[in-house]
Amino acid sequence: MSGNNKSAYPFYIITGTLVCLVALSLIKNSFSINEFTTRPLDMLADVRKDAPSLPSEINDSTAYAGATQPGSIDTANGRNLDTAAIAAGTSIPDPDHLHNFTTYTGILNYHPPAGTDSTVTAGLEHFLVALDELKAKKRKKVRIAYFGDSMIEGDLITEDLRDSLQSIFGGQGVGFVPVTSVVAGFRTTITHTFSKDWKDYSYKQLPPSNVLLGISGHTFMPAGSSWIKYQPVKKRGLNKFEQVSVLYGPASAGNISINDKSYTLSGNQAVNKLSLRMDSARQVTIKWAGGTAAPLYGVSFEGDTGVYVDNFSFRGISGIELGKLSGRILHEMQTEHPYDLIVLHYGANVLWKPELTDYKWYGDPMKKVMDSLRNDIPNASFLVISTADKSYKKSGNYVTAPGVTALLKVQHDLAKMHGTAYWNLYAAMGGENSMIRWVQGDPVLANKDYTHFNRQGAAKVGALLYKAMMDEYMQLERQ
Amino acid sequence: MIDVNKLLEILLYQKDDPILFNSAFFFYFFAAFLLIYLAVGRSKEGRVAVFTIFSLYFFYKACGYYVGLVIISAIVDFNLSRWIYYTEDKRKQKSLLILSIILNLGLLFFFKYTDFFIGIVNDLKLANFQPLKLLLPIGISFYTFENLSYTIDVYRREIKPVDSFMDYLFFLSFFPKLMMGPIVRAADFIPQISQPYVLDKDDIGKGMYLIIAGLFKKVVISDFINQNFVQYIFDDPSKHTGLECLLGVYGYALIIYCDFSGYSDMALGIARWTGFKIPPNFDSPYQSSNITEFWRRWHISLSSWLRDYLYIPLGGNRKGKIRQYVNLLLTMLIGGFWHGASWNFIFWGAMHGGALAVDKVRLDWLKARGGGATGWVGTVMKVGGVIFTFHFVCFCWIFFKASTFQDAWALIHQVVYDFQPEVWLELYNGYTAVFWVMLLAFILHFLPGRMERYTEQGLSRLPVVASVVVMVVFIWLLVQVKSTQPMMPIYLQF
Repeated sequence: MSGNNKSAYPFYIITGTLVCLVALSLIKNSFSINEFTTRPLDMLADVRKDAPSLPSEINDSTAYAGATQPGSIDTANGRNLDTAAIAAGTSIPDPDHLHNFTTYTGILNYHPPAGTDSTVTAGLEHFLVALDELKAKKRKKVRIAYFGDSMIEGDLITEDLRDSLQSIFGGQGVGFVPVTSVVAGFRTTITHTFSKDWKDYSYKQLPPSNVLLGISGHTFMPAGSSWIKYQPVKKRGLNKFEQVSVLYGPASAGNISINDKSYTLSGNQAVNKLSLRMDSARQVTIKWAGGTAAPLYGVSFEGDTGVYVDNFSFRGISGIELGKLSGRILHEMQTEHPYDLIVLHYGANVLWKPELTDYKWYGDPMKKVMDSLRNDIPNASFLVISTADKSYKKSGNYVTAPGVTALLKVQHDLAKMHGTAYWNLYAAMGGENSMIRWVQGDPVLANKDYTHFNRQGAAKVGALLYKAMMDEYMQLERQ
Repeated sequence: MIDVNKLLEILLYQKDDPILFNSAFFFYFFAAFLLIYLAVGRSKEGRVAVFTIFSLYFFYKACGYYVGLVIISAIVDFNLSRWIYYTEDKRKQKSLLILSIILNLGLLFFFKYTDFFIGIVNDLKLANFQPLKLLLPIGISFYTFENLSYTIDVYRREIKPVDSFMDYLFFLSFFPKLMMGPIVRAADFIPQISQPYVLDKDDIGKGMYLIIAGLFKKVVISDFINQNFVQYIFDDPSKHTGLECLLGVYGYALIIYCDFSGYSDMALGIARWTGFKIPPNFDSPYQSSNITEFWRRWHISLSSWLRDYLYIPLGGNRKGKIRQYVNLLLTMLIGGFWHGASWNFIFWGAMHGGALAVDKVRLDWLKARGGGATGWVGTVMKVGGVIFTFHFVCFCWIFFKASTFQDAWALIHQVVYDFQPEVWLELYNGYTAVFWVMLLAFILHFLPGRMERYTEQGLSRLPVVASVVVMVVFIWLLVQVKSTQPMMPIYLQF
């Protein structure tokens, strides 16, 4: 080859580089400097024999089979022995003896601990009976308080659950809407605009001691020219306003106008209600008209009968924040605006470190929160919804975060300990690596953070939850 | 430790794992190719055969049996163009050309646009068809345009058709340009086939520079910014503040440029190392001070193709001013649609077409006035023009990238009505590395062209061993960036 023709150079460079890289791959080439560990380089990763896989902590390979597993008594190695005695004293078997909670896609109903007040019923019982009474016209309303984080922002999931329940059991209206909301523009179940001068106290910025935090985690104080405007949207059950209730705190002579008609807010309860009937009004505009400033919680839109689902989303929280709600608020809400089911749907913000598998830091304070919620709202059913699947990138590939199954167990134990219902959303989604299928599938059901559902995915979750609830309801009806 | 089954599996087409220049597989492929290519380097027929076989395998690896489409379209266009050339009858020539256009565009339409039109028909409730959900054959948009330009050039008697079918198949399947272009003209490429395989030190330096720069743009800038920040924003713009959305759009401007031009650079570099010079496809487009200039520097092979085979045949500027504006708009509308079967792309193309037409008016006015401002006013105008052009292009990218119009409007809404500049520190703490990479990318983009030439010259003077060291260190760095734990999105509090 002549001296000036370098046509062999590319081959030398590429092959030389390849040889060096393969040689590097054969030795351990990852090293640490201070706290930083370099990533290993492996040119053979795609063709290496798989390392024998470690037995996973909780085997959930059968998830999504959907079927109950009658033979699988005690196979759940994640069972919490502390609570094994809970079911003792009742003749009804512990649901964990019938189903493996790590894979079961339906709702599990746990019994309250022995010695609990008799008004506390097991799992969803109170709620299902209430639905049955509603259907038999023995009661007018059934109300659900659905607490969650950014997973339910903008009425995601609750929108679909509400729609399904209302289509069977009746109801007209979106339920509770706060005074202002960071996701008002994103919510498609009501058109909601507001002035910027409302003072928003919340879990993140607690109100002064003489003001209580509302059940949604927010309390709003009006300023000089504060206003809120709500308009119905063109969707079934959401296209008109019937009953509009303003929920507010202690007030003496605070003036507001609703669609230009003046009202005075007064009442010394922690929760007071001003209800109006709206006939054919195309919008509700509430303006602050001066007087002594009164704390406002929100506005509820309902009909005379039916099922109502109130969405209490609060971005970035783990559920422990609910401990900041006072017993007085919860008690008085139960008088003015009673709930039959309390849903607790958290997890996304607990899993902030994907490889963390010890959730004692979460379980312990959350237990206290649930103790007091159960105590302050004794006559309602509780449903704990587990974390959804969440994936993270591990050596180049997305996999279910190891924390997910660990957190599931903590959430299950909380449910079992308090005799609430439990729904394993992770299993219902399809178990291990289901989030990857939801993100990468057609249609796309979740966002690329491998954590949050998109609208379509949230609709699917709402439908799965509705189905799980209805399965329980059918069972009750059969009995 | 090597699993033979896995090895065999990797050699076959894998639907979810297309072959990319930045994959380990490509490295082995390229080394094996260079070895055999070099072995037959002295014979033209040998080189054509080896290159074509490797290219067809590359096609197969990327899109399975759709490789057949390339072969079929090569057979059809090779023969049709010869027929066109050697026929005396003008009418017959024209009919053959029309046949070729219908066949080529028909194939492209069938695979790329059928579902789009089924969607329109269904939406208008004219009928209810099931979408075909076809997998798009990789590269079809590129080789369709290459076939068309070749046949049209032959019809216009600008080039003589090739005599050897293998040469034509080689041109069409040439693997460096397969996935993301550039669109190569037969007139530029085919004469290079018969030249001996000789590389000088400039070829080595330039090729290596292009490969490294391309990998850097693709892996360090584009993929990194996208995976750790921008994809979260575009996934759900309404959940992010206006500031995040705006930074997300700036980030996307870098992603689309670095991804596309990085890939083009790698293609050019690989081609250069195998003895082929392909004209550059991008020329620091965000340095443009007006939209007309932008389109001279962005995806040059496509814009020049559209100019030569669409804009000029439509009449170009020869049929009066109004007609020229319409032609510009129409060309860009079709150019937008070429990018993908959705209204977003059409809208994106229309915005660019409209802007080009408006810019044409401005340029004509400047010409009538005898030139623009000079001195410091000129400099300020130019800087202002760069900033304005960049922001206009960014605005259009919103529609290009957003999956629906609602998402695009939601993003714009956030920027306009919910900007929340006070969250900047929290944002910075959440995505520190991303923002530094973005800043670095912008600085690199605005460096003068001579920096590039210095680097190329430096690389061309390296002995082989030093080149190997540079490559190994560079790839080790890429692996570090590629496999870092992704930054999880922060959902800003309030």
